[in-house]
Amino acid sequence: MTSPGIQVEAVGLLTGWGAGVAALPASAHDAAAGRASILLPRPPLDGERFRRATRECLLGVAAVEAMLADGGLSRESIRGTGTALIFVTAAAYGASNVEWLAGRAGTLHFPYTAPSVLPGEVAIEFGLTGPYVILIGGPTATVDGLWQAGRLIMNGQCERALVLAVETFEECEALWRRARWTVPGPLVESTTCVLLGPGDVRPVFHPVSADAALGDEVQTRAGCTLACAPLVALALARAADRDTALVGGAWRGRAAAIELAVAGQPARL
Amino acid sequence: MRPSSGSTSSTCGAQPLPPEPVAIVAAGVVTPIGLDLDAFWSGLLAGADGLSVIERFATDDLKIRRGGEIKKLPAVAQAVRSRAAALLVAAATDLAARASLEAEPARIAVIVGTALGGVEELDHALTLDPTPRRALDGLYDSPAQALATWLGACGPVLTVSSACASGATSLGLGADLLRDDVVDLVVAGGYDVLCRFVMRGFDALRSLARERVRPFDRRRTGLLLGEAAGLVLLARERDVRGPRLGRLLGHGSASDASHIAAPDAHGRGLESAIRAALAAGGVSVDDLEFVSAHGTGTVLNDRIETAVLKRVLGARAGAVPVNSIKGAIGHTMGAAATLEAIMCLLAARDGWVPPTVGYEEADADCDLDYVPGACRALRPRRMLSTSLGFGGCNAALVLEGAA
Repeated sequence: MTSPGIQVEAVGLLTGWGAGVAALPASAHDAAAGRASILLPRPPLDGERFRRATRECLLGVAAVEAMLADGGLSRESIRGTGTALIFVTAAAYGASNVEWLAGRAGTLHFPYTAPSVLPGEVAIEFGLTGPYVILIGGPTATVDGLWQAGRLIMNGQCERALVLAVETFEECEALWRRARWTVPGPLVESTTCVLLGPGDVRPVFHPVSADAALGDEVQTRAGCTLACAPLVALALARAADRDTALVGGAWRGRAAAIELAVAGQPARL
Repeated sequence: MRPSSGSTSSTCGAQPLPPEPVAIVAAGVVTPIGLDLDAFWSGLLAGADGLSVIERFATDDLKIRRGGEIKKLPAVAQAVRSRAAALLVAAATDLAARASLEAEPARIAVIVGTALGGVEELDHALTLDPTPRRALDGLYDSPAQALATWLGACGPVLTVSSACASGATSLGLGADLLRDDVVDLVVAGGYDVLCRFVMRGFDALRSLARERVRPFDRRRTGLLLGEAAGLVLLARERDVRGPRLGRLLGHGSASDASHIAAPDAHGRGLESAIRAALAAGGVSVDDLEFVSAHGTGTVLNDRIETAVLKRVLGARAGAVPVNSIKGAIGHTMGAAATLEAIMCLLAARDGWVPPTVGYEEADADCDLDYVPGACRALRPRRMLSTSLGFGGCNAALVLEGAA
């Protein structure tokens, strides 16, 4: 069934500062106290199925769990072909790639070097079998992902969509230090998941937006979270009980933004 | 092309009108069997074998040392620092020779799919070159950024990494950008480099063929990797004034949610993706006249894909030709789906369907018409292309020839 618009139903947010918006400091720069990156530890997810899974995969699973908790939703509510999964990252594949290149990982680690395996683990864990898109890039890619998610819902190709972003830096910190002129610190590891559902308000997509101020609050409070930044902004908007949010950012010379409706808490499907 | 609207914002959701037709205006490629579109096409029709002993990097410690390696890049690409970007520049040069990219730069999008991105540059950054620039080259979206810069495109730049299905999803997203009037032109496609990183991985997984690649054949033992880039120029059908290769009618994707590295045993995700693509394009399964299969040559993929095609095509399954070009060029990962879509459109243009190179002996589990032996005189109008990849990725394209 088609829908005239979409809205944000729930947001899960975990950063190196802790869980949720409440854990974000007033100033990430001050809170970092000179540290180049802020680690988000491996989530304590047990079980045979996760014995080989990388930290990044488990962070993706943890973000979806946090989103479900935020929306008061059950796992069953997102299972099946009705839920699209859009995954975005600029760098979360770096850790597994470095492991493989260094020869420290065994044969069964190799598939984890593919960026698609992180959302693959998430899809397996929650039984997500709907439309599936994986984008690589910073906040602009997340804006593209939100646009695509909205399109899928409004065209009736799915009933809801998860937009998931994960960023880790720890294992590649030396490389990021070399490229520090491209990313303002501190680098803050993050995992965020937004649930989008049908709504009355059409999103407005600005693929070439010059509004650099969009990311300022996220950068100030959370630090540099790359692809997670627009979703952190949605979490901030939801916490502030705003009806709409214009979120976006800049990455590698390009800027983009999207304006979305945000449901009040607690949201229900 | 029509003059640019200059708009930089778009309200999503102008659907559910019938999907606006998106033209595939032209294509450009660089492959192991040909460094441009004409050479690629004549190689496919001739049943060329582009698989050879790998020369560009050390393979002494690997069990399998063959792949679809491009021995010498076109001159235009030789000065490009990253091989991944060089492949894209080579394909873009071929594309630009066949179609004009006239639009406001901010209204031109670049969308490319890849399984490996700039991973070879990451290796260099870690071991050989400590400069900041090389560190950034290791990001998976760097080759797409390099292509956009080379083209002078200032619109959206997207990198899709749905593993070996990436080159299909990139075309689909490009069509969506056009349908939402976000841009006026899209350069979309896929690429990947044959490098030691990925050879080591597939060699260790024992997924590589011990001799030749034999898609759907009883004796198939696995795949061989290849490198390539394929790009197409997409535009709204109503904006195209000159000739075109064909149209992208629909695309679909779906997750298996069953295994990170193996396809779902029943092919449920692939079937969902195919049905979604048909629905999106408003195309009946009865209209399909040809299928370009993923057809890797692994025991599992080919059996599952055959079963899915039989379920989707129903009683017509045996009458619809199905081919795989991976026996000719290897599995080119992020480039594969784009090259296969291009192959479909060339078949429709010229009235010839390339054979499945390597297919000789029938398998009881793979009992469709795989176009054995030689190219076949056939001008399919509506076609299906299927793709699968690590992470449970599945994608399908429904295409229509221009004729």
